[in-house]
Amino acid sequence: MGLRKTPAALVAFGAAAALAIAGCSSSSSNTPSAGSSSGSSNAPASITVWRMGGSVPSEVAWMNGVTAQFKQQFPQYKNTKINVDWIPWTSRTTDWNNALASGKNAPDITELGNTDTPTEASLGVLANISSYVNSWSNKSGLIAGELANDNQNGNDYAVPWFGGVRGIWYRTDQFQKAGITSTPTTWADLVTDAQKLMKTFPGTYGIDAITDDSNAFASFIWGSGGQIATQSGGKWTADLTSPQDEAAIKWYVSLYRTYHLSPSQYIGQTELGPTGSTAGGANTDFALGKLDMYIDGPWASAEFPKNATDKANWASFPIPSQNGTPVTAPVFAGGSDLAVFATSKNQQADWDLISVMDNESNSLTFANSQGFFPPYTSELSNQAYTGQLMSGFAKAASNAQLAPLNAKNWATADTGKYFIIPDMLKALMNGAPFQSTVAAANSQLQQVLNTGTES
Amino acid sequence: MVRTVNGQPGSLRSPAGPTSGGRGGRHSASGRPLTSQQRFAVWIRRHRVAPYLLLVPSIALIGVLVLYPTVQIGVISFQNYGLQQEIGTLPTQWVGFGNYSQILHDPEFWLSLRISLISAVVMVPLTLVVGTLVGLLLSRLGPRMAAFVSSVATLAWATPAVSASVVFVWLATPDGGVVDWFLSKWPSWLGGGAHWAAFSWTNAALPAYTLITILVVWSGFPFVAVSVLAGLRTIPSELHESARVDGASGWRIFWKVTFPLLKPIFLVLVLLSIIWDFGVFTQVYIVIGELGQRDLYNLGIYEYANAFNMPPEYGLASAGAFILTIILLILTVGYVRASVRQGALR
Repeated sequence: MGLRKTPAALVAFGAAAALAIAGCSSSSSNTPSAGSSSGSSNAPASITVWRMGGSVPSEVAWMNGVTAQFKQQFPQYKNTKINVDWIPWTSRTTDWNNALASGKNAPDITELGNTDTPTEASLGVLANISSYVNSWSNKSGLIAGELANDNQNGNDYAVPWFGGVRGIWYRTDQFQKAGITSTPTTWADLVTDAQKLMKTFPGTYGIDAITDDSNAFASFIWGSGGQIATQSGGKWTADLTSPQDEAAIKWYVSLYRTYHLSPSQYIGQTELGPTGSTAGGANTDFALGKLDMYIDGPWASAEFPKNATDKANWASFPIPSQNGTPVTAPVFAGGSDLAVFATSKNQQADWDLISVMDNESNSLTFANSQGFFPPYTSELSNQAYTGQLMSGFAKAASNAQLAPLNAKNWATADTGKYFIIPDMLKALMNGAPFQSTVAAANSQLQQVLNTGTES
Repeated sequence: MVRTVNGQPGSLRSPAGPTSGGRGGRHSASGRPLTSQQRFAVWIRRHRVAPYLLLVPSIALIGVLVLYPTVQIGVISFQNYGLQQEIGTLPTQWVGFGNYSQILHDPEFWLSLRISLISAVVMVPLTLVVGTLVGLLLSRLGPRMAAFVSSVATLAWATPAVSASVVFVWLATPDGGVVDWFLSKWPSWLGGGAHWAAFSWTNAALPAYTLITILVVWSGFPFVAVSVLAGLRTIPSELHESARVDGASGWRIFWKVTFPLLKPIFLVLVLLSIIWDFGVFTQVYIVIGELGQRDLYNLGIYEYANAFNMPPEYGLASAGAFILTIILLILTVGYVRASVRQGALR
């Protein structure tokens, strides 16, 4: 190598390395603006909306209509681009946390389950929108209990968007052929009917006893007359070891172990298949005729595959309680809220979009097209849900319960981190000893509900 | 073509031989003063700094991408670092060894550790055995067949872990997957039968980790095979021929001639396999269905769940990562010492 070439090459190496180091340095995370950017009517370049689940064409069409209305109603935003991202339900908390922690790819508006709102608000993920909500003309028309769920320490962190409850899907022609004249109203009837269906249609499963859908499993606990956990004086007591709860757990596990109404592949799965799926599992099996009865809400139709069979015969009935009293089992009052993300720069623009998405007519058209219930009291009582598909869900909705699923630490105890009830059901279905498994899960649930961690 | 330096015939040892040292390095042989560029080159040559300067970019990159995050994780592991500390709404606090003790008292940690240990104990020997066999095969094949086999094997290694995992899960899916269909047709006296028809491979530890082991060995053996092949090429063929003339069987030749000479390579391969298979993440994450089944976690997934689930606990997960590192250090240091004593390294 020549005398002059050596140092030049080495200096070039060093310079390149220095540039690489500078480029690789991490950017510091943004600190959130705590609701202080209100009042600015500068139009943002874009608004990112996070929707939950898989992309559904009818929802995309609805959103396009809302965007057009938004730009008409607020002409200052006519150049703002509205981006919609679809986030699978099971990874939503991870995605929110990563967006916050990295400061990148954070949404401006996010849909979130109504049980997520208390947890996320307490973590500082959602912006305080009390001033917007209090000056909103539609505020008084919202269902009071739903709005109260989104309120923490006197501040509003989200507004309810739609409600939904679960029931049991079935096919009227199958019931007819199997000789079932009326939908089951007790657990024993449910088992008998499932057995009749499996006999009449060999090769199908009677009912899906999945382990990872606590929102649905809760109806069986409540239907036995028990509670998952009760709160008094700010302290939670878990009730899984009470006789009613144990009866419910035992019965649910027996659907797989004793009566063989549900296949082993559903163990460890959600109603859409393995965790993280947006379609598949029991949902697809029902749509294709491999599953006779399917526990889910009316929104499940959005996730059915395109080659679903017998659509005309789909119907629903409420989840039965243990002995038929009260008439149906209490169902989890689910639903979604809309919230502004804490790191969003232009919260006024975000609120304006939410006010259009969630006004009376838009929320009603959305709810009707997807099988949800609207968040306004007057609309809910005005709608006549008499079709064979929606009537079962509407009947179930009259007996709805929320606690403890809206507890601050419920998300951590359930699908956020510890999967306490899903893993307990899974262990029991795989043959773990009953008393000790339920007792361990019970003390773990109580610990997490009260403190947020296991130890 | 190698240029000799200053009349020293064929000297390759060091570029920093005597250049213009006679007059204090400030003047060239012809008497004109040196430019600063030339003086810099002389300084490099005299102090033999060139090798270290060439190392600077790599050290800088490793420092930024590996050392700095490691130091950060070490610092965070002694703090209660959560989401609110990350976005700045709450300050960080030092908790001493609190995170470490919380992890060591968590039964889920011990379960994940057990799963990691058992799966590593199975994966590492299996990968090495399969890889060595394929390496031996490649050394015996003719050039065209060897090229074909090695390119097919390399395809297995080059397949991205996510794609391979998704395909394997799809193959093993209970509803219409090839594996279950095949096993249900297999005669029952060989272990098959109708009870395999809807067998779920992903919701219990043994089936799931069997699938994961096959997946990891499938993607890991080509590296071992190619390394063993390279090592085999360095063994002079006279050794094998004389052993064969003496009447040794293939098995004895391998253990008495080949294996002792390849010990250094096997040392490196075992070390790498232990480190990789202990920390396997992608394949496990996809096969067990992301994070929904806590009884199937291995150590890597357990720490990921701690860090990124709800609520995120980065301090706790950092402590877990360090515990995993310490375990791996003990294993690898112990193994290296044993091998040095056995003479694999000199």
